[in-house]
Amino acid sequence: MRRYLFLAASFSLLLGLLITAWQESRHPKPIALTPTLTGKVEYCLSCHGDLPEISKSHPVQTFGCVLCHGGEPLALDANLAHSTMRGGKNPSDFSVVQASCAGSNCHSGTAEDFRNHIQRATTSIQATYAGAIANIRYTFGVQPDLKARLGIFSVQVSQSTSGITALAAFDPTQETNPYVKAFGQNCLTCHLSAQPLPGSEYFRFTGCSACHTPTQSPDRTNTEQVQSSQIHKLTTSISYTQCDTCHNRGNYDLRTITFKPRQDHPADRLHDYYQPIAQFTSCEWKLDCVDCHTRTEAMGDGNLYSVKKDIQYIQCKTCHGTLTDLPQTRTLTDPNDLAFRLATLNPVIDLKLGDTILVTEKDEPLWNIRVLPDGTYELFGKADNQRYVFRPVKGSACTQDPARQDSGSCHECHSVER
Amino acid sequence: MSNRTLSRRDFLKLASAAILALSGLLGLEGLFRFLTTQTEPLPPTEFDLGPASNYPPGSRTLLADIPALLLHTQSGFSAISLVCTHLGCTVESKPEGFACPCHGSRFDLQGNVTRGPAEKSLHSLRTGITSDGKLHVYTN
Repeated sequence: MRRYLFLAASFSLLLGLLITAWQESRHPKPIALTPTLTGKVEYCLSCHGDLPEISKSHPVQTFGCVLCHGGEPLALDANLAHSTMRGGKNPSDFSVVQASCAGSNCHSGTAEDFRNHIQRATTSIQATYAGAIANIRYTFGVQPDLKARLGIFSVQVSQSTSGITALAAFDPTQETNPYVKAFGQNCLTCHLSAQPLPGSEYFRFTGCSACHTPTQSPDRTNTEQVQSSQIHKLTTSISYTQCDTCHNRGNYDLRTITFKPRQDHPADRLHDYYQPIAQFTSCEWKLDCVDCHTRTEAMGDGNLYSVKKDIQYIQCKTCHGTLTDLPQTRTLTDPNDLAFRLATLNPVIDLKLGDTILVTEKDEPLWNIRVLPDGTYELFGKADNQRYVFRPVKGSACTQDPARQDSGSCHECHSVER
Repeated sequence: MSNRTLSRRDFLKLASAAILALSGLLGLEGLFRFLTTQTEPLPPTEFDLGPASNYPPGSRTLLADIPALLLHTQSGFSAISLVCTHLGCTVESKPEGFACPCHGSRFDLQGNVTRGPAEKSLHSLRTGITSDGKLHVYTN
């Protein structure tokens, strides 16, 4: 019996060693990378060497993979290597973005306020959804006014021009009103932390990548499906189709407190651009959203707001001016002007010192719009790289009412029929 | 010729010994691999550029491996690191100086910052000529 046991033990030992050797043989040959920024070896490229560079601003030779994604840098076993990754495939999800993308030289914690993207984005109304929540609670009598009190997650700021310095987390299970409860169950699908609705037309990531990682082809006629596993890209060149994953896909029905998806799926841009009942001008469907709407409008300015219109301020007159005033401009004399930084990140325009660009009423650079010598303006599409020339209202036959500068008024004459 | 048959006891002994020997070999192979594993080498800090005479006065030579730009002026050899002082990307040499392709920093021909986000000049690297006339650049 002892001999049998000894033989069995020997066989078990050999089997264990063989299994270990087999597992070892399955590991890829290590390919070492020592990123300039960290100076620490990582083996991620042993398996992921075929991934494209994520962006010109984040070259792998400088950043490596682990700085943003986390993970075990020296592991060759996939499960072990991925075990401590942040946010799965998406380190920009707001639950982990501070660990992934922050830093005084990166996207928060810098003395330059305009570069504190994480602080601004996580307090933006697209992240907090505070406006929608406040509106629904007010509509159904749960709160006395439209002032935001709750957000998707709790957040606070040290000071806020809006007077709102903190939002508590919205918890639908604590709501007693059935409509508000249903809103929490059915309608929280379009904030920056929400998983997208099923369907390729809704497909996007969360956090920063919801906008900055293109999951939608800029060309609606391109029927090739974008595979999430193939997307390794960060960009400020954002097509309207990316915005459409939330903004042009349907409506929330207040009677049933459900989302009603848009039923038509036109492939041409003219019909795709706006919801069927909306009026729009040609620039609104020829351009991409980011050509007019600024980074502050989309990503917030660090203040907490109750409604979208508190942060969204671009109007037709911002670029076209009024009957009496030309749009505001700035001649670039400082090489450190923010306009140069933004034009570097998305080089659709070759800005030079001495160029005059348009600026918004809040002095944000419209860096893709340059004043031409003849008094007209050239705009370069941030997503499609197309050049458009337009002229100011002043001196034209436009009969605008200076007191009515909202886009709705301009649509009375300039809307495009479909 | 003997007509000897292998007893069950001997077979078990032989099989156990063979299995243990195989296990030992596998274990030794693993031990050998463990002991001979080399850590990743540290990046070099000294670069031999060959004969200094290969770099005539007035020349500007891009040294992609370092990366650096070697200059031979009237005052001798000097080298400017092409690692951006912002986050470490490799800057590109331009007629007017250097440009970082990552975040847009600009430097003049001497490596001084002309546009952020970089705040510090490009580093100057030490150069030296060995007794046999070879030019060396040091990154530390």
